[in-house]
Amino acid sequence: MGETFDIDIDATDPKSPEGKDVCEQCDTLLSVRGIRKSFGSNEVLKGINLDLAPGEVISLIGGNGSGKSTLMKIIMGIYSADEGEISIDRQKVDISNPKAALAHSIYMVPQEPMLFPNMTVRENITIGFEAPKAELNKMLEDTMKEIGWELDLDRKAMTLSIAEQGMVEILRGLMRHSEILILDEPTSALTFDEVQSLFKVVQELKQKNIGIIYITHRLAEVFEISTSIGILRDGVMAMRGKVEDFTREDLVRGLLPPDAAEIKKEIAESANIDYDAEPIFELAEFTGYGFADVNLNIYPGEIVGLAGIVGAGRSEMATTIYGMDKVLGGKVFVDGKDITGKSTKDVIAAGLSYVPEDRFNDGLFRIRDVAENTTSSLLANSSLGKLLLNRKEEDRVSQNYVDNFRTKVTGLDQEVGGLSGGNQQKIVIGRAFSVAPKVVILDEPTRGIDAAARGDVYAVLQELRKQGVSILLISSDMEEIIELADRAFTMYQGRINHEFKKEEITQDNLMSAAFGL
Amino acid sequence: MDLVKRLLKARGLSSLAFLIALFIIVGAMNPAFLTPATIAACFNTSVVYTLVAVGVAFTLFIGEIDVSVGSNLGLVAVVVGSMLRDGTPLPVACLVGILIGVAIGLVNAWGVAVMKAPSLIFTLGTNGVLRGIVYVYTNGQWVENLPKEFKDFSAVTGIGDFTVYYCAVIALVILIHFALTQTRRGRWFAAVGDNANGATLVGIPALQTKILAYVICGVMAAIGGIIFCSRIGFVTPMSGNGYEMKAIAACVLGGVSLLGGVGSVLGAAVGSVIMASISYLLVFMGFSSNYDNAITGVILIVIVVVDALLQHRSIVQNRHARLNARVSPKATSEVLAEQIADFGEAAMSPLGKKGGVR
Repeated sequence: MGETFDIDIDATDPKSPEGKDVCEQCDTLLSVRGIRKSFGSNEVLKGINLDLAPGEVISLIGGNGSGKSTLMKIIMGIYSADEGEISIDRQKVDISNPKAALAHSIYMVPQEPMLFPNMTVRENITIGFEAPKAELNKMLEDTMKEIGWELDLDRKAMTLSIAEQGMVEILRGLMRHSEILILDEPTSALTFDEVQSLFKVVQELKQKNIGIIYITHRLAEVFEISTSIGILRDGVMAMRGKVEDFTREDLVRGLLPPDAAEIKKEIAESANIDYDAEPIFELAEFTGYGFADVNLNIYPGEIVGLAGIVGAGRSEMATTIYGMDKVLGGKVFVDGKDITGKSTKDVIAAGLSYVPEDRFNDGLFRIRDVAENTTSSLLANSSLGKLLLNRKEEDRVSQNYVDNFRTKVTGLDQEVGGLSGGNQQKIVIGRAFSVAPKVVILDEPTRGIDAAARGDVYAVLQELRKQGVSILLISSDMEEIIELADRAFTMYQGRINHEFKKEEITQDNLMSAAFGL
Repeated sequence: MDLVKRLLKARGLSSLAFLIALFIIVGAMNPAFLTPATIAACFNTSVVYTLVAVGVAFTLFIGEIDVSVGSNLGLVAVVVGSMLRDGTPLPVACLVGILIGVAIGLVNAWGVAVMKAPSLIFTLGTNGVLRGIVYVYTNGQWVENLPKEFKDFSAVTGIGDFTVYYCAVIALVILIHFALTQTRRGRWFAAVGDNANGATLVGIPALQTKILAYVICGVMAAIGGIIFCSRIGFVTPMSGNGYEMKAIAACVLGGVSLLGGVGSVLGAAVGSVIMASISYLLVFMGFSSNYDNAITGVILIVIVVVDALLQHRSIVQNRHARLNARVSPKATSEVLAEQIADFGEAAMSPLGKKGGVR
């Protein structure tokens, strides 16, 4: 169906899908032809063609489950394709394992960093190289100087933040002098200035004639760094062309399913919030590890945004409220009740629920099914039955959330580990709301999920707000806060430094406050 | 916090300190213990444990375990012992013994690395099978009448009161340590145990590394079996029984993590001396050596629990220190101004808005 899309970008593509080079600068670094891949009866890739020239940055975008990751894993030799061929420098190659991919100068920076926690940063970067140690160390120091990143090389990888882990992964790729670099959502855990220095690096690599495949969900980045764009949808390359030929609208259109035109963007209505009422949630001089003296309140039915850069202390505050770390000072009230320093079980019982940032580690029971995940929060109380589980009730509750959130599952008995990121996130959110909370803290609810799923999540939040649930929305995505929040706070270096009313919430205000101005 | 960190880092060293302290305490209780001959005996006795423990350490490095080493050692001991008794030349018997070790290692590697069975259970199974083969092979009889010169060689001393066996094994351990820490391939074992997927992604052949670890483990246990024959002079069908616990305890005592990726073979060797000394020490302290196994078990449990606690503590403390460092009363304005200037361009660009919202 991608081929029948009304903008025929392929016509302007310098390389025709048949693989005949019709361009002037005909050197292709990587050429992928007719790749097909099925998992069981599910065909994930339906004949993908992709070319990468030296110095080209292809932004590869696509929804969850569109096949981006599978395609990259095939190029990287982690999966093998059912059909199709891969050529490098016009030579047909057989990439049957990652080692072969590395030998062909391909390196992938994975979305979830794959470090060795017990090794130092230096060891993590230099492992797998042939060269002698001294040479490697020099190379590493030169690379770091060149891109201007500061990182203590002798720290154990287990002490690094997610952003720092991502930096280590990128350094690994740079050290390999790869000619083909695959970056799988490298910015999703980076701070703003780290993103900028990454972009600088990408620009330099472009100059050095390295070909880059850049996977992202952030459409702004696409225009900032790429030379061409590929949009994957349902296992086909829906659109492909030079970046100049695209507008933002094209991208959105390319991403959304064909029937998306009917769905209108729901404009956030200014809800009737009674600011004279007692706040449903209140933090008073709340202090813990990573944040200090936080004063913040939320009224019934209100969505309060909490913006800030990664590492500002927002997640730490949320987990401390949730009873997962020690409170160092101050108070937390839910509906007038003091829950400071209470156990997680008591916090939930008091009416507060938390959706963690890291759904892979903290959010899901990966090998359990959809229904069990959705209702796992209910296991702590007796709503599913006092002794024996009421399976029908479990299914009813789960089906309800699956339907409302439009979660794509094969059934309630599907293992959640096999779902895409967006669908996993919907299940985690569903679970948080299944206990009928008064206040929900959402930590980066749309990180790493595609535009369509993001729209679904927003709609769900608006709906829940109408039902009187109050939400604390922690997000690094300023647009998300602008769209959803009734009021917003910014946190900077562990302290709240600004409060904004609805009309004051603008990209500029949030940005400058997040940076401490 | 620093102390905890350093303790964790220098586990090999701290187990050496523990060993020395143990000797001093026992020496204080019974001065007869503190003679060069007795102390050397503690080391000399540890030779078989050391071999087995270093082999097991390889499987622990890759994040797995091998509990079949006791029966592996027993099988090699009865086969090599009976061959020597029947007049087979020593080199041939040794070669057969080592090949048995390789074969056992390959079987374990097939089950664990290729078929991906849980290593504890799979090797527990091979342990049972191998012990069964020992009984069938010997028909429950002891293997006796080994050549005298083979038996006597175990008492020949090399450096000081240390036997040639012990000196050779220590040289081997140091060689292995060097190979593990100073060579490119040596680091692969710990890397695979630390993060197997990550290892694959940087081009380390994880499967081959795992297979090699099991083969090394099998061979080390086999060499242990041959030396066992020489030292003890006879082989019972129960030979090597319980060595797996001693070896695992020795590794853990020497700082090898059961979670994979951490530890050194030097630590395992020191741990082996402690394990070998326990029954000696008990006698010198006036207890029955019947307590040996129970004490080994207690030591294993205590260390594993203490390790888990220390590790958890250090992770939490690291995290808190890191978080506290982020909270600052005032921002340094100059640095920030720069950052904003850099970022401004991106934020101001007309395309600097995210699309994709319905």
